[in-house]
Amino acid sequence: MSRAKIAALILIPLLIVLASLFLGPRSINPLALDGVEREILLNIRLPRVLVAFLMGAALGASGAVLQGVLRNPLADPYILGISSGASLTAALGIIGGLTFLGAFTVPVLAFIGALATGSIVGVMGWKRGGLWPERLLLAGVGLSFLFSALLMLMMSISTDEGLRRAMLWIFGDLSLSEWKRVPYGLGFVLAGIVLSATRAKALNALILGDEFAYSLGFAPHRERFILFVSVGLMTAASVSLGGMIGFIGLLMPHIMRFFIGSDSRMLIPASALGGGALLCIADLISRSLLPPMELPAGVITAIIGAPYFLYLLRRKDVLSI
Amino acid sequence: MKNLLFILLLSVVLPCSVSASEAASGPRRIVSLSPSTTEILYAMGLGDRIVGVTNYCDYPEEAKRKPKIGGMSNPSLEAVVTLKPDIVVLTKDGNPKEFEELLHSLRIRTVVFFSRRVSELPGGIRQLGSALQAEEGAEKLAGKIERDLQRLEAASRRASGASRQKVLFIVWPEPLIVAGPGTAIDDAITLLGDRNIAASAASTYPKYSLEEAIRQAPDVIAIGKGSGMDMVEVSRGLISRMTSVPAVRYNKVCYLGDGLYRLGPRIVPGIEELAQCLERKSPR
Repeated sequence: MSRAKIAALILIPLLIVLASLFLGPRSINPLALDGVEREILLNIRLPRVLVAFLMGAALGASGAVLQGVLRNPLADPYILGISSGASLTAALGIIGGLTFLGAFTVPVLAFIGALATGSIVGVMGWKRGGLWPERLLLAGVGLSFLFSALLMLMMSISTDEGLRRAMLWIFGDLSLSEWKRVPYGLGFVLAGIVLSATRAKALNALILGDEFAYSLGFAPHRERFILFVSVGLMTAASVSLGGMIGFIGLLMPHIMRFFIGSDSRMLIPASALGGGALLCIADLISRSLLPPMELPAGVITAIIGAPYFLYLLRRKDVLSI
Repeated sequence: MKNLLFILLLSVVLPCSVSASEAASGPRRIVSLSPSTTEILYAMGLGDRIVGVTNYCDYPEEAKRKPKIGGMSNPSLEAVVTLKPDIVVLTKDGNPKEFEELLHSLRIRTVVFFSRRVSELPGGIRQLGSALQAEEGAEKLAGKIERDLQRLEAASRRASGASRQKVLFIVWPEPLIVAGPGTAIDDAITLLGDRNIAASAASTYPKYSLEEAIRQAPDVIAIGKGSGMDMVEVSRGLISRMTSVPAVRYNKVCYLGDGLYRLGPRIVPGIEELAQCLERKSPR
């Protein structure tokens, strides 16, 4: 990979982060800050941009890992049911008005829901001493249906007001980003990215088949398990930071493959950077389109990302996982 | 045996049909499809004619004991039909339009309560009154609300020449959902002579930018009641992030009831409660 590409991969997301920090319906000039603007910049925008970047990065990286682990270009972090499990427990907290952990109640509930679902999928996908891609996929899809149905059930018996709040959360809500959420988000997402990036060579081998990986000296089941855990951590952290964001986990890895190829060693960090940058842009747009009203960022990611993806799809002629 | 059963049946049916034909005037069996119309019907003195209400009709106390027909946006057609209503009262915003058409196709009469704004309330009540042939009760209620509103406006800050305060009415703190333009709450703030900072938003209950809420520096923050939730607890996080705005700095944050959420007779006490909140003097 050329040096120019690496520079672009780092510089473009950095510029986007800076833009979403200072631009908006009202842009902030960092050289002439008054008291209110400093407060807005440091206590509202900065944590928000960081949370957006972390969420997007987690989704991009987990997408890249999962498509390889499951050997399926349609896999995304949400296909394992992790997000529907998280949505279910989060909606329980939102509609039920639970506040036992203060502002952390809903994120913690979502995280527990996500981890519990991930573990159930793991148990379901486990047979003869290891995880099997097809089993994981089917278990995830099955659980997704179950949890979505339970979520619908809960929403149909809730008040209209509780329903709207739950919907806003499920569609991805970055307005709740506070500094308090950054450290644990950073911890889990970074741990997931580092863990999966260190196993990237094994992932490359796994994509080509278990026998092949074995002959290269990797233990397929063990590698798959580690990668699965890293995806679970990243997705759970992302969902609990701000709900569900569509598109990034499924299509950011594909967009990156168009540019840098499918070597997981590069693909995982690149998808993380791209995912974080895309969510930052989407959030900037969602704040700026109809001020002072905010739109759900998760809707914007797909509206700007999908056409770009389709354009690339039309232009490139080689496709791979 | 068969005869006995027939007589038994007749003795059950007959008294009902007699009382129905005795009906002096107007529909005897009313189903109300929103909490606000339920409150209006009670205040018009039609409480004993109501045979069905929504699951959310919780005021006055008697309303809770009426048969339930489901939610506002998803009422059960079967439940409504089973109650054999002479007329069904709907609202323009809260109930699905298709539901009214379904009722018509079953030849059930309906009346739509059209009011959305405070100023439209008396007119809406009178219109309900004429559809239900209860003009007298409706006129009494509408007239009283009109007089109360005039009194409140006359006593308002604008009338006393005070400068307009900037008000933010929070419906839910996280995510921040506020009362925007076109709501009874916005009307109430204006009527009292102050200014709703969210009046320029694009929808009635927008998800509002926290950044903008801080920039606008509201003088007063009013927080509405959420169903069965401790709003002080729920709002703590938001308030702690807004410490720089005057409302928080000078402790002009108040927690209100649900009067302003329902465009009905309790809108007057609701406005009075808001007026008290807006009047509270800030410490110098």
